[in-house]
Amino acid sequence: MELDSLKYAWRTLEAPPASDRSPDEIHALLQRRSGGIVTRMRRNLTGELILIAATYTPAILFYFLDFEGKLSGIAWLFILLLVVLAVYFYRKNQLLRAMQCTGCSLYSNLTQQINTLKKYIKFYVWTGTLMIPVMFILSWLIIRQKFPATPGADLFYELSGTPWWQHPLVWAVFLIPVTVGIYFANQWYVHRLYGRHIRKLQDLLREMDEE
Amino acid sequence: MKLVQEHRSLLYKVCRIYCFTEADRQDLFQEMVIQLWRSYPTFRGESKFSTWLYRIALNTAISDLRRQNRRPSTTSTDDIPPPPSLPDMTWPGEEQEQLQQLYTAINKLSDVEKALVMLYLEDKSYEEMEEIMGINQNNLRVKMNRIREKLRKMTKEATYGIR
Repeated sequence: MELDSLKYAWRTLEAPPASDRSPDEIHALLQRRSGGIVTRMRRNLTGELILIAATYTPAILFYFLDFEGKLSGIAWLFILLLVVLAVYFYRKNQLLRAMQCTGCSLYSNLTQQINTLKKYIKFYVWTGTLMIPVMFILSWLIIRQKFPATPGADLFYELSGTPWWQHPLVWAVFLIPVTVGIYFANQWYVHRLYGRHIRKLQDLLREMDEE
Repeated sequence: MKLVQEHRSLLYKVCRIYCFTEADRQDLFQEMVIQLWRSYPTFRGESKFSTWLYRIALNTAISDLRRQNRRPSTTSTDDIPPPPSLPDMTWPGEEQEQLQQLYTAINKLSDVEKALVMLYLEDKSYEEMEEIMGINQNNLRVKMNRIREKLRKMTKEATYGIR
């Protein structure tokens, strides 16, 4: 088979009538939801944002209004977390927006996708990892401030005059393995989600580079 | 809308090359139309419109992971099912069999090779191919020679059962 001899036949191939689209049908296509990977990721991100806002808002109101406002510190903690999460979602959205350049050459688009996806994964892993210990530490500070332990209470073992559960060393011993565990769990999860896609894109780039 | 109508044949060809089932083709067609619609405001006329259109179509087809889960790997040319028959496509009678063979062979190529064959058959110059693919012309020539040889071999195998 000689490719050159098929050029004419190829170029005169007609569109199949069954799939031929009228302008109305094309317009209808545009109204449907896109199924592209980046669009789906952005949709998931919006879903996550709505879920977080829906969960945190009642909690904030609860801590502001209940307990005669004595635990409003926790409500402020949640507000602080919401601000951090807003920055987190903004950054993620920015990365997703930059992920595709369909009007660029195939090589540039693939390179851009790989680089942005890697940044996205890194950001996802690190923020997901650091958020847990930061939340623990802030909660601990607030609880400690609001409920100081009774000195000499039977339940607590005294260490340097501080109840064991308030001692930073105990928290460090607890938080370090938890944080490391969360880091690896996040790594596993994002690679399960996007690892195959990245490998596929890298294979394509490699193939394009090969001479 | 008018541009999509004018170039729909090109979009269908991309769908045929990159998808194995009708449902996937419909999905890909829709995705390409959406991408064209979204990207059109960024088209500044620095390249030919057809170059830009090919970029959008091929970028969309190649980056779509969902289809990759539903098709055989292109690393091996064995065990690949034949492409769906193409009764609804029309072309000059004498080339029909050869084109059917070509589609069968194209299905065994990698995504990048498929794009190159398509651009070649569309009579794009190496310069335009470079603009669309982002691969330098020397490398493109080497790749095209390799693909031609590969297709020749595949056709021989299919026709004479030679391996």
